[in-house]
Amino acid sequence: MSARFIRVGAFGDAGTWLVAGAAAACLAAMLALLIVLGGAGAAPFWPSPIVEVQTRDGRVLLGEIVSRSDDAIALRTSEIDRIGTGYVRVAPKQFIDSTNPDDAFVIALTDGRRVFGRGDAAAADARLHEMSGADADEILWPNAVGFFARSGIFLRHVSRFLGASSTAAPLGGGVLPALAGTVTLVLLMSVIVMPFGIATAAYLHERRGAAAGLVRSAIGNLAGVPSIVYGVLGLGLFVHGLGADIDRWFYSDRLPVPTFGSGGLLWAALTLALLTLPVVVVSVEEGLARIPAGLRAGSLALGATRGETLWRLMLPAARPALLTGLILAIARAAGAVAPLMLVGVVKLAPALPIDGEFPYLHPSRQFMHLGFAVYDAALASPDAVRGVPRAYACALLLIVVVVALNLTAIVLRNRLRARYRALES
Amino acid sequence: MLTSLSDAASAQTPSSALTGVEIALETRALSLWYGKRRALEEVSFGLPARRITALVGPSGSGKSSLLRCLNRLNDEIEDCRVEGKVLVGDTDAYAKDTVVHELRRRVGMVFQRPNPFPLSIYENVAYGLRLQGLRKRRELDECVEAALKAASLWDEVATRLDDSALELAFGQQQRLVVARAIAVEPEILLMDEPASALDPAATLRFEELLHELAQRYSVLLVTHNMQQAARVADYTAFLHQGRLVEFGDTDSLFTNPRERQTEDYITGRYG
Repeated sequence: MSARFIRVGAFGDAGTWLVAGAAAACLAAMLALLIVLGGAGAAPFWPSPIVEVQTRDGRVLLGEIVSRSDDAIALRTSEIDRIGTGYVRVAPKQFIDSTNPDDAFVIALTDGRRVFGRGDAAAADARLHEMSGADADEILWPNAVGFFARSGIFLRHVSRFLGASSTAAPLGGGVLPALAGTVTLVLLMSVIVMPFGIATAAYLHERRGAAAGLVRSAIGNLAGVPSIVYGVLGLGLFVHGLGADIDRWFYSDRLPVPTFGSGGLLWAALTLALLTLPVVVVSVEEGLARIPAGLRAGSLALGATRGETLWRLMLPAARPALLTGLILAIARAAGAVAPLMLVGVVKLAPALPIDGEFPYLHPSRQFMHLGFAVYDAALASPDAVRGVPRAYACALLLIVVVVALNLTAIVLRNRLRARYRALES
Repeated sequence: MLTSLSDAASAQTPSSALTGVEIALETRALSLWYGKRRALEEVSFGLPARRITALVGPSGSGKSSLLRCLNRLNDEIEDCRVEGKVLVGDTDAYAKDTVVHELRRRVGMVFQRPNPFPLSIYENVAYGLRLQGLRKRRELDECVEAALKAASLWDEVATRLDDSALELAFGQQQRLVVARAIAVEPEILLMDEPASALDPAATLRFEELLHELAQRYSVLLVTHNMQQAARVADYTAFLHQGRLVEFGDTDSLFTNPRERQTEDYITGRYG
């Protein structure tokens, strides 16, 4: 198909190079994105060496080097009081010498602080006792171990990041709750948006005229509305409107504590469904329009009503387009964070929106979200130096989730396409 | 204008050609407008039961439009208006209380290009049956087999009923849609140039099939091909610029046309 457009010749060659160059640039940009996210996101999981720096004014600093430039060396030393208080700058003229002592250890506390020291396990215990009331997550002697042991530590850190541990820590712990929240939200959104989108597209395809034109232009306008506006709409319409009504009718015994009257998974999913509706409608309608008119006439001529034709013939034949709509909707929904901040996403949710307890899915619960975790880590972290790499890691994970969801849909679509290929030729 | 009226009047007496013949479908002064354009002008004729009637005429003469009036497929076209009557048996097709999809079941249609659904061969034929509410697998099997046999396709597809219908050859696809149409036991079969997209061998096969179908169904066959009309049709109607110029049994229409226009057309002076 595409080969037909590429002709040999002066302009054709230039065109070919242009097209190939553009495609290569896209690929390179995508690759660069993944490398940046992966590199910057993975760095903090790797155990960095502990240095001991001696200065001219007689200080001996134990910690990790955060950055090194011509006018200063930044060190992260023990955080005695709270996170983010251990940073020290050493000017070059103060700097005498630095060593990597083998017996240097770092204690990661459950509240996210890191404390450095030197000595054996007993010394580390003693150091831990100085931090009254704090528990240790792990104690490492990174200078003493080799590459493979460090790799093991790296993997342990990664799996801890992907898990659900110490979520309450100020820096945030495992992102599993955010991952679960994101996937649950996107799936619930898909379940809501697909029937509405398909029904609207079917209406637009079957009806022409002023009313359908009005609906079509309204949907076109919806596609152009900034996503934060959907957040406000969801807050006003769903949370404060519908949710407050549901609370009054069904949960009046719990008032004034809101059940559905505050942001939650259901309202966020509905808001995202509104946001993605135009995408689904447009692609499904295009899919329906691409079905040869003869098929529809053939079905009608057999005595099928319009509804039967749509249900038994048109929609099954348009399944690839349905999945295309779903793919686009997932991509748009997974990336929308702004509206969620108004309708139920939180930094720390007490419980997952989906668990083993009946009814398994809890639509009124607040939830965590990877997109919000990116925002939170990058801009609202108590320690920016450690927050930004965490934002990169969360962003990478978000991309992986979107790609995984999309790949599932794409594989499904390609299998369907193979079935209908003969139809489109 | 006067002459055209008298032409129409002469064509309005189909009974002369059809004395004593059972009529399956009848139109009375049927007119059709697409917006302001008049596509059919007071067409009146009777379709003989269990015979093949060919509908011939130059391109744009309204043959397909007439066909689509008979099963009300023109309803799907915007700005389309019908006047006059279409009687299918005793049913007035355009009466207010006529159920359109019920009418379309009784008046089957085969299109110019084969339009098998993107389903299996079996499901294509079963499509109309399932619409009728037939659910039992055994009954479906029997009906599908009978329809495929009647369309003389059974021997070719019996072993691969679950294959996609889109994999069939063109001629096979056209016989498949015939099987699909007759599976629901219509009274009338409308065929819109069904053989025009087929190669000569497939065309010959299709014409044989038409003869067999005419034992049970009343066939109205639109065709561009004069030889085909002469070969297969018992009756022939000549349509020109939306008017039914002449209608009679094929032999006399071809050998001894009453109208000058008919003679010009069948001798190839235009069309």
